[in-house]
Order: sequence, then structure tokens, then C-alpha cells
Amino acid sequence: MPLWIALHLPRLTLEVFKIPRLALANPPVCDADQDRPLVVCDGARVCAMTESASAAGVAVDMRRNSVPLLCADAIIAQRDRPREQQTLWQVALVLLQYSPHVCLNQEFSAIVMVEVAASLRLFGGLRLLCRRIKADLTTLGLTATFGIASNASAASLLTQKNLANTARNTLRKNNRQLQLCLRQQNLARHLDRIALSHLPSASTWLTWLAGIGCQTLGEIRQLPRAGLQRRCGNAMLQALDIAYGERAELHQWLNVPNEFTGRYELPDRLDKAESIFHFCRILLLQLCGWLCKQQLAAQKITFHFEHERGRQAIPATPLELQLANATWHEEHLARLLKERLGHLPLAAAVIAVRLHVAEVVAMQAASDSLFPEPGGNAESQSKLLELLVARLGAENVLQAAPHADHRPEVANQWISAVAPRSKAEAPPFHATRPTWLLVPAKPLSVRQHRPYHGSPLKLLSSAERIEAGWWQGQLVTRDYFIAECSKNIRYWIYRERIGQAQQGEEDALWYLHGVFG
Amino acid sequence: MPISQLENLHPSLWRASQLARGVGEYLHCGHASLAAELPGGGWPMGHLTEILIQQAGSAELQLLAPALHQLSDNSHANKPSGLPHGRIVLLQTPYQPQVLALDGLGIDLARLLWLRCKSSQDALWAAEQILKNGSCSALIFWQNHIKTESLRRLHLAAQTGRGLFCLIRAWESQLSASPAPLRLKIGRTQSGLQIEVIKRRGAQQAVPILLPHSALSPQFSLPTFVPETLPTTSPTDHEQFSSTNRARRTNAFMDSTAFATAHVGSI
Repeated sequence: MPLWIALHLPRLTLEVFKIPRLALANPPVCDADQDRPLVVCDGARVCAMTESASAAGVAVDMRRNSVPLLCADAIIAQRDRPREQQTLWQVALVLLQYSPHVCLNQEFSAIVMVEVAASLRLFGGLRLLCRRIKADLTTLGLTATFGIASNASAASLLTQKNLANTARNTLRKNNRQLQLCLRQQNLARHLDRIALSHLPSASTWLTWLAGIGCQTLGEIRQLPRAGLQRRCGNAMLQALDIAYGERAELHQWLNVPNEFTGRYELPDRLDKAESIFHFCRILLLQLCGWLCKQQLAAQKITFHFEHERGRQAIPATPLELQLANATWHEEHLARLLKERLGHLPLAAAVIAVRLHVAEVVAMQAASDSLFPEPGGNAESQSKLLELLVARLGAENVLQAAPHADHRPEVANQWISAVAPRSKAEAPPFHATRPTWLLVPAKPLSVRQHRPYHGSPLKLLSSAERIEAGWWQGQLVTRDYFIAECSKNIRYWIYRERIGQAQQGEEDALWYLHGVFG
Repeated sequence: MPISQLENLHPSLWRASQLARGVGEYLHCGHASLAAELPGGGWPMGHLTEILIQQAGSAELQLLAPALHQLSDNSHANKPSGLPHGRIVLLQTPYQPQVLALDGLGIDLARLLWLRCKSSQDALWAAEQILKNGSCSALIFWQNHIKTESLRRLHLAAQTGRGLFCLIRAWESQLSASPAPLRLKIGRTQSGLQIEVIKRRGAQQAVPILLPHSALSPQFSLPTFVPETLPTTSPTDHEQFSSTNRARRTNAFMDSTAFATAHVGSI
């Protein structure tokens, strides 16, 4: 049985003008603008307004010129239909993460529908899925009401029912944002109560129907069908049949372009990494939807942070995310991005973010074993490495690369963990070596003819002579000893041999080079 | 039920005079005398273990070497109840780790990861990420000053995985509270390593354990490297020549301190 989630964005007209409310302690943009009443006009008439404007007396269909009289500090904006369409398209892209079957409602302008029956198990059930969708929409800065039913029309109508509830009872508006009807036999009961004004095909006959006492869908279905068909035509009856599940519905699925390019204009000039990150996430969410639809995984993505064109044009700052394992999951990408953004030097404030996918590979589903591997799988290991490299830098995440040389500081090579390595085993070597090496070696003072480090050091071994490096012009001639201090900690110290002849001083000849631990 | 059988009610019950019986996983510590004093006979996996040490870097790797060797052993990984075979991470070490010595301790170098951090905040973040990820088999973390909240956070993160997690701190933090179920204080003595169990699930320890050098350190028990052919030395450097000659004659001498002290004057 199909299961449809319809998302109605009742405040879309307003929200395209509002900055997504950031989940930050200190929003970068001045919050005063957020609190000013906003009125959106379609032509010369008001078509939407915020609660504060509504409280001041502004109403729908009021003339534009009367708004400043009622509410002096209101921001009046002209309705931006292309931007609304673009936002809807973004929502649809984000929803592609959860199912490939996404379509925009042709009749209502602000409804996106997604068929999720096949995705429920993957995302842990309907409630969890709805919670994820809601979180994504919050990131996009949108509010939505959910309608869930076994067919798309019914789900759309259920979101409308919800809207009626919120209008009537504004106090409880946040409590019932989810309307669901999972059983086919209950569907008719739920739909019967919906007001007729929410059915778009009935809009022509609304006054006439109200005149004969038909207010809801249930009441119109009790009228004789033949007479209704003669007076109102076929369209309304067909729409009703589809909603009640008595007739099949055709959908026009959302198609995505072959190339992904995302651009987001920031609401203000931002220079804080954490606030820019929030807007990058909006792009990442769209990217993940696109990747899921195309069955691809991203190998390399590049963000371009565009700067304001001042006297000189500043080139956009690029930020490249190269992934060891191609991924299509938003969480991993977002975590990597967050760490990288924290270290990115920005030349100037950023006004827009562009996302470009440089390399993609075919998506490969994870193979789950029946018994989970004890050490985690290779994928989680490489994810961890990526994350560590993103924050600490590649030069601080190191793996051992021993080198066959007698000089301890040359033998003890560490290379970046992301660099390819030729071999991992140490050269066969049987001398005593300390666990820790001091780089560079620390000169020791001499007291009473003994090297001194905290306390006089007592030599425990005889000399191990190392003479190497002359072929590179870095000759070392050293005698190594194991020495112990009064705290019984053992050190590895050496004495320069050639230096002795040159300087004739006893002081700087002893060096601390290692600690046994 | 007779009182003598009360502890059989549940595996997590024990008497004040007993050691806790192992409920989770434990990694054998490699020394029989130490195993007798530790609940479960070894290091707890998936828990925070604190090792307090006089000077960072002076003894902790020798103590942990048998455990790390077991984790490095690839043959375990194939068993169904095998040990985790992820990376062994050294985080914020006091000095640069020496690859050859670690190899000598029996640690698989291919698994080794060494992380350097610029700030302790970065280090704490890295530790938490590693523990949460759960793909690493051991994390050894050197950090002296750490808040109790951070400790609790790390301990919680450690419980999500099943790797070995050791935090190396200084002796001074002995008196501060810690959520770690096992805390050891180790110090070096003339004859070996003295281990005091400060906190464990079970009765308090009566006498500290002493691990002699011979039982402890594979790197010391190896014969000292003696070059087959002596490096050519100039005739004027007569004293050096005689000292290397001496090196050839003597072999296992590390713990014969009397011998060593006799030499100090002549070198």
C-alpha cells in the first residue's frame, strides 16, 4: 500500500523574505529585522502578513496603501513568485533523500508530496522519518504542516484540514502539525470533515454550494451524483474520487538535472564560520537529495565563498572536500565541512556560497554483515581519519614509516596517515632503543663530571657507537649510553665525539636523546 | 538463602573483601601478580582507565605493552569473540614515539596512529571522536589537566565502544575525583615498577605490587647491540677505543647497577 506524506508550506510567501532562523547562540544578523512585522503584497493588495502585522489590524485583500496607516514600522514586500518556486524546488530536492518519488502538487502552489512506503524501514519508521524531514525544513528556515495518507490528494487535503485547525485555535498550532490517516477505511471519515473551500476544483461553485448548505466534502458526496455532474461538470467529481481512493491518480515525478550546481545568497555579509556553515548545510542537503536520486556518491566537492565586489574584485575562496570513501550522507559531509570551515582563512565577508560537485562515483550500498565486526569496518575507520585530518591538519595525524638508518632521528620517520605508505614493518634491528625520542636532542649540563638532568645521571650501559650520515654530509659521531636519574627513570643520552676535539669544552657534549618508558 | 551465597545472585554483586567479577570484557595485562589485583584480571575494555605517573613517558608503555601486543595480534581477529582489530592511537604524547622501540614492544606498526594536537581542546575533541567512532582498538591519551566534566564525557564516550582507553595523568591528580572504575599509580623504583591500585571495584589494595625489570621490559632484556666490526677510530682517540672494547666484552648488564656505577668514573 502506498503511503504519501504531503508537506504544506503555509507561510512560504512570508518565509522567502525571512532569514532562516539560525540555531546559534548569537545570530549574526541583527534580530530587530526579524521581529518587525512583514506584509507581502500581490500587486496592490495584501496577500500575507505575519502575526504581529495581523494583530495591528492588517488583513488579507487590504489595499497596500492602508498598511502603513495601521502598522507604521511594517516591512512591505512585493510577492516574489520565482523565489517561492525556487524554494519549493529546494524542498523537493531535499526530500529526494528519503524517496525517489517526489512530486509537486499541480493544484496547490505550496505543497510537495513524497511517497515513502518503501523507505520506512530504512529510516526507522514513519515518526522518525517525519522528524528528520522536519529538522531538514527547519534548516531551510521553513515551517510545514504534514499530511499523511494512502494517496497524494488525500494527504494534501489533510494538510489543509490542519491549516483550518491552526487558524481556529492558534494556541495549539504547534501541537498538531501532523495529520495522519493510515487506514483506508478511516480515510472517508477524515476527509468528510474537510471544508469544501480547500478543494481547488470546487472553487467556482463555492457560493452556490454554500447556498444549498454544502460546507464540507462529506456533504457534497451525499448529493445525487448525476445532478452534480450535470451542474458542475466532471472535474470536481473526479478530484473527489481520487481523494477518496476510488480512482487512480497520475503523478508527474520530479526530474533533476544531470549536473548539480547550488548557489545560496546569504542574507547578510557574514564572516563567522559557524553562521556560514548553517547556509552551507542548506546546499549540502540539496546535494544529498540530488545524489540519492541519481544513485551517485560524491568523491570530491568544492565550496566557493563569494566575496563582495569592492574596489578590487576579490576572487572567491575555494574549500575543497576530498573524501576517501565516496559518500551521500549529509551527516558526514556536514561534520567534515564544520571542521574545515573553522580553519579556513577568509579574505573578506562572504555574500554567497556556491557548491560544485567535482567528482562523483556510482553509489555503492553498504554491505551489512550479520555479526558486526568488532573493530568497526574499514569505512568507519577512514571516516574517522578524514574527520581528524579535517580538524588537526594532515601533518598532525601520523603513521609510522620506519627508515633503515643507524641515526635514530632518521630511522624514526612518521608520515601523514592519509599519505600512501610503501611498507609498514620495521627493519630488523636488535639494539636497545628508547620508547620516546626527543627532537631535537636536549643539551645536558655537566656537574661533577657527570651529565645532569634534574639529578646527576648514572650510566648503566657501556657505549653504543653510531657513526653514520657522512654520505649525506650530515655526519653524526655519537656514543650512546643508557643512564638513570635519581627518580629511577631511564634516559638515552649521547656524547658527541668530534665536537670534543673542536671545542675542548666538556659542557655541551652530552645530549639527552630519548626516554625509556 | 544463606548469606554465604548472596554474591551468586547477580554477576555484578561482590563482597567488600572480594574483587568485582568481570561483567564486561577484559584484556589480560600480561603479568600474573598484577592480574591478581585487578578485577577481571586485566584492563577493562570500553571503560576509562586512569594511570597516574610521576613523569609522563617514563613507564606507561612498558606496562601496557603486553595488552597492546595482544591487540596487535592479527590471529585474534578471526575468532568470533575476537578482540577489536582497529588502530592503536597515541594522542598527545609527551615526546616523539620511537618506531623501532614500539616494534620491539610487539605493537603492529601498520595499526599505529600518532596524533599531535595544538591545544588541549583539540585533544579532548579528538579523543571523544575516536571513542565515539568505535573503530579504534586502543586509545592512549596523555593529558594532565582535565576537568571532571570532560572526564565524565570521555568515560561515557568510551562506554559506547569496546576499545582500550587509558588516560595517562600526573601523580598530582591522585586526589581529584574521577569517574574511572580503575585508577593505578605507578612509579619507578630501583628494582622495577611499583604499582599501586588507587581505585578499583573491590577491596582496597593492601600492598603495592612490584614488577621487576626482568618481568617487565622486553627492550631491556634484549642483549645490547654489539657491532661485529668496530668502527674505525683514529689512533689518537685511544680512550674511546677502549670503551667500545669494553662494550664488546659485556653483554647483559642492564640491571647490574654495581657494575655500571664502577664504570662511571672512567667514562
